[in-house]
Amino acid sequence: MREHEPADEARSGAEAFYRQAAQDYGVALERLAYAYEADADQRRDLLQEIHLALWRSFDKFDGHCSLRTWVYRVAHNVATSHVIRQRRRNTPTFITLDEAENETKDEDAGVSADRARARALLLAFIQRLEPPDRQLMLAYLEGMDAETIGEITGLSTANVWTKIHRIKNVLTRKFHTGGHYAR
Amino acid sequence: MPGDYLPDDLKNLWQELSVNPAPVPIDELRTEVGKLREGLSRRLVIGGAAALVVVVGNILYFLVFRSVLERTGAVMTIVGAGYLIGQILLRRSRKTLDPADTECLRFYRTELERQRDFHRGAWLWSRLALFLPGPLVFCVGFAQAHPRLALVEWFVGVTFLALIAIAVPLNLRLAQKYQRRLDALDRSQKGE
Repeated sequence: MREHEPADEARSGAEAFYRQAAQDYGVALERLAYAYEADADQRRDLLQEIHLALWRSFDKFDGHCSLRTWVYRVAHNVATSHVIRQRRRNTPTFITLDEAENETKDEDAGVSADRARARALLLAFIQRLEPPDRQLMLAYLEGMDAETIGEITGLSTANVWTKIHRIKNVLTRKFHTGGHYAR
Repeated sequence: MPGDYLPDDLKNLWQELSVNPAPVPIDELRTEVGKLREGLSRRLVIGGAAALVVVVGNILYFLVFRSVLERTGAVMTIVGAGYLIGQILLRRSRKTLDPADTECLRFYRTELERQRDFHRGAWLWSRLALFLPGPLVFCVGFAQAHPRLALVEWFVGVTFLALIAIAVPLNLRLAQKYQRRLDALDRSQKGE
């Protein structure tokens, strides 16, 4: 009979981490896939690619960052590669937060009290953002703190705060009547 | 009319996005890893087969045709095709960062730089410098050695040159596109 080897233990440890990640962040990863891919079939493929990358990545997980940081880094980076590949084929136009701040409100006219429609518009807006701004926007909407966002993206905490303030401004301008975020 | 959603409301709205997470079974992931490896090997086999066709075809040319130019062209084509395939394989592995160990901003920048560099500079011009002359030298040699078929060979040569003439600006345009994204990223970082 084959003896239990250290490699097997490491693999089962990695699988335990993956199970934990899938259980804790499965829903958030689905939302993340929505933010990166509008097409349902391609979204399913992207999600599978993310899960695959995660599963493989946990062989190297040594706990030097939190499970959440690890999961989101892998997921965003895999999704970013997906966006770059798609862009090579389709050349969609993405915008930065700067450009979003300068957009007129007219195109968002009609965001009403209808939550489903507002959510659809929010999603469409996120899908137009450049990957780095999209990562920040998603992290903000998922309720992450500035330190975690910094760990994931590589921005300093101060920069994250500045960006979050701008994100709030952009969201308020787009989704709130006459609003300018001032808190 | 815009709605009544403040950022915190939008957080709730986002987190209510109805998704239907179906856990991916471990066995399925194992199968996918296998498929991924098979896919990579398949691509290597297809690339290898294409290279083999070029190499074997040009070895035949080398043996069948007698003029110095034809033979030189055949050898140069083999070298050029080898370089082209080597570059494509290198591009796959070059600077590909580990998605788990790389902050998102650095990952995005490196991916853009990798794509940009493939389509411009040393990568592009060395590809052309090594791949272009072989077939052209062969065409000239063939046209000299077989004057009756010269017209056909000139046509092939001109078509080849026309394709290259289209490929160069297309590559440079793609490189510019990636550079614009990098510039936007720099501006966005400086504007903090």
